[in-house]
Amino acid sequence: MKKVIMGNHAVSYGVRASDVKVISAYPITPQTQVVELLSEMCADGEIDAKFIKVESEHSALTAVVGASAAGVRSFTATSAQGLLLMHEILHWAVGARLPIVLANINRAVGPPWSIWTDQNDSLSQRDVGWLQIYCESNQETQDTIVQAFKIAETVKLPVMLVLDAFFLSHTFEIVDILEAEQVRPFLPPYSTEVRVDVEDSHSFGNLASPDGYFELRYMIQKAMEQSREVVKEVDREFGEHFGRSYGLIQPYRCDDAETILVTSGTVASTTRAVIDQMRDEGIKIGSLKIRVFRPFPFEEVFEVLSGAKKVAVIDRNISFGHHGIFFQEVKSALYGRTDIPIIGFITGIGGRDVTPTVIREIADKAMGDESPEREINWIGVKR
Amino acid sequence: MSEKIVFKSYREMPICAMSVADMTWNLTGSWRNVRPYYDFKISPCRLGCPTTEDIQKYIYLVTEKHYEEAWRTIIETNPMPSITGRVCFHPCMDKCTRKDFDQAINIPAIERALGDTGLANPDWMAKASASKKQKVAVVGAGPAGLSCAFYLARQGYSVTVYEVDRALGGVLRWGIPEYRLQNDLLDEVIQSILESGPITVKTGTTLGKDVGLEELEDTYDAVFLGIGLTTSQRLGIDGEDGAGVDPGLEFLRKVNGGEKVDPGKRVAVVGGGNTAMDVARCARRAGSEVTVVYRRTMNEMPAIRDEIEEAEREGVHFHFLAAPKEIVRNGGKLASIIFQEMKLGEPDESGRRRPVPIEGKTFTLEVDRLFTAIGEKADLGCIEGLVDCKWNLITTADEYGRTSREKIFAGGDVVTGAASVVEAIAAGRKAAERICRLFTGDGEPESGEQRTIGIEDINTAYFERSKRTLVPRIPPEEAVAGFEEIYRGFDKELLHREADRCFSCGVCNYCDNCWIFCPDVAILRKTDEYVINYDYCKGCLVCVTECPRSCISTREEGK
Repeated sequence: MKKVIMGNHAVSYGVRASDVKVISAYPITPQTQVVELLSEMCADGEIDAKFIKVESEHSALTAVVGASAAGVRSFTATSAQGLLLMHEILHWAVGARLPIVLANINRAVGPPWSIWTDQNDSLSQRDVGWLQIYCESNQETQDTIVQAFKIAETVKLPVMLVLDAFFLSHTFEIVDILEAEQVRPFLPPYSTEVRVDVEDSHSFGNLASPDGYFELRYMIQKAMEQSREVVKEVDREFGEHFGRSYGLIQPYRCDDAETILVTSGTVASTTRAVIDQMRDEGIKIGSLKIRVFRPFPFEEVFEVLSGAKKVAVIDRNISFGHHGIFFQEVKSALYGRTDIPIIGFITGIGGRDVTPTVIREIADKAMGDESPEREINWIGVKR
Repeated sequence: MSEKIVFKSYREMPICAMSVADMTWNLTGSWRNVRPYYDFKISPCRLGCPTTEDIQKYIYLVTEKHYEEAWRTIIETNPMPSITGRVCFHPCMDKCTRKDFDQAINIPAIERALGDTGLANPDWMAKASASKKQKVAVVGAGPAGLSCAFYLARQGYSVTVYEVDRALGGVLRWGIPEYRLQNDLLDEVIQSILESGPITVKTGTTLGKDVGLEELEDTYDAVFLGIGLTTSQRLGIDGEDGAGVDPGLEFLRKVNGGEKVDPGKRVAVVGGGNTAMDVARCARRAGSEVTVVYRRTMNEMPAIRDEIEEAEREGVHFHFLAAPKEIVRNGGKLASIIFQEMKLGEPDESGRRRPVPIEGKTFTLEVDRLFTAIGEKADLGCIEGLVDCKWNLITTADEYGRTSREKIFAGGDVVTGAASVVEAIAAGRKAAERICRLFTGDGEPESGEQRTIGIEDINTAYFERSKRTLVPRIPPEEAVAGFEEIYRGFDKELLHREADRCFSCGVCNYCDNCWIFCPDVAILRKTDEYVINYDYCKGCLVCVTECPRSCISTREEGK
């Protein structure tokens, strides 16, 4: 059944389709509708899940950690300060190898207070060990929730979905709604051997001496590396079941492109429109959307970009004292393998609109500048 | 669970930090590797007390204003705290941890206050009836005999006390002057003991003359001998026999009996023990100039330090490192004493340095009276050949006073030689305990807990320095004018001021510190104890550090 729903509700429908047993979340703009709808679904019996009300995001994720440790499928959603408050428990979920799924609605971090989008909240959690998938459309969002549980439960690592505030979270689109019965053959009910069980008691999260901690961290990295193939496999399987697949990356008109614009999130859609326009003008340009940020798809990114003459990376984030974060990542994927110039662009911070005009400015600047001296090009900042 | 698991590869490890084995025995997993647990020790003062009074406990009960319970606590091991609170040499104070912080607690003053409060509340003393069939004879009504009688009677055994004198008390009555222990008070204490249970008294009865030991053994189920030391030691020098030279104890006996004795203008007392001090101070009260001559130095004097200091304050002169060599008489009348000068040589078996004469050095002291106070010995004629003796003392098998005859027990000075009131009380109590076991068929008593603590175990951050609270006293010049008791007791305010200084070493006094500080709220406060909830205790041991008095010990988990 198709419905016109907002991006946040696409998250809720994805959760509804996934036989989740425990949901705990604390409402925060722009995530609120995710949990509003989920709590209604729980109350109405549409989802057979326990909805745990809490007093903070730290507790929300802690409750979900507890549920997941007890061996049930668990979900939470948050945004910005909420995600940052979860920081300690984000680490915990990884160390405890819990297949939690979390939806984070990208919101700029205060102060100054802002409810509008940028990626600094999620990207500041880059190194905790969660898989991160940046979504672009409502359909992709719903489908990725379902995929995320399968990926997480396969590699035993938590997965974070990332949605742009308002541009995605509050935008209404047609979504082919997934029903639990439909999904079950693809995503069977969750069970795990390693769980808190009063009949077979073990202690969890114990103290580990230097003799063992190292290996446990090694195993997390191994799982992260393996997850690249798992994401691909789950995506392929999902395509078999539902006819939709999303890939680790999404190249657009890159085959003969001399210039490629690297994007993520909703900016990818806007960029495609600009690419079409420029292609009409005869300019050999394409775009590459990075959907899966962790694990970073080094090979896939290299393969697409290595054919270009110039790469421009659009970052809706900034690593203070360094550069745009996607820019750093793309550069590291190409390091030592090519000498294609890579140019970094920072734009759209704090929810500033990234319009086709902005994208065009970036494209023109990237194409016009043969040897950029600076790795940060601020687009739209009032200087 | 104590075996260490070694992983050779990450492949052998669980996917996340989790125990391989069942962990219900430690719900914190490997987090708490050391477990704190309440583990009370014995306060050092108690270990220092010959009769093991639970000093910490009664001082704590005083701080809580539970005076009756505090008094009961003392009575468990000492039936006469009013007396020991006045005359004991208080070895407890030498052990007091507070001594290493500022000044030891004034334990005897607290003990005295409680003892006197007990006397003022006669209903506190439970009255035991003769509920048991066995009967015991106690010979000698000094501190050992009275103590033994008290602890037997309280269990319901009938006791008959045989005393050679007309009045009970033994050395307490004839050996301790009234300025230290008033006769009226002694009477009260003895009365309280006699009323506590089935005790019959036979005064003016001499063992070996009026009644024989074998007769007692036949008549009674057990016999306790607490006959003390009654005969003064002789100097063994020329001129000792004759007028002007007397045993100090005889003088004391007369003075304590209320007899007016004029010792003469110039008095010499030979000896360095408590009898010497008592004789010297009684002679001062009779108006004499008194010189105590002792063959060693003040450091070696066996007398209680306080008594030596009081004697000095009262104007008693001391002459050290001298021993009487010859008594010079003039027409039978005492004229002077020639003293041999001494020096300290090698330590003897008592650990004190032995006095040795300095060849050719003597001096003469002109005196009207010489009192000897160089020790007393037992008169064992009455038991000769019946009970094993050695060095003129009764031989006992252990601290419980068992002699060579199954039914006969002994304790006090007649076993130990000249010792103290509190040691005699302890001996009497322990013999009573052993006699009870003889009757009930129970085996040997078990030795109690001995673990204690020191100043290094006290968290001194919790205590402010303060001076010992002293008891009020009458000035020395007033004291020496008569036999009024010199020291007065604590009033309530002083009692509490001093009791509040107690560290309560190694024993919980419910200060709540552990409960307040536990960061995991894993300590539960119950009515009269704290309980550690080991489901949550992470073994941080903050409680151990913050317990001011070392009541919490630790033990490694899984060992």
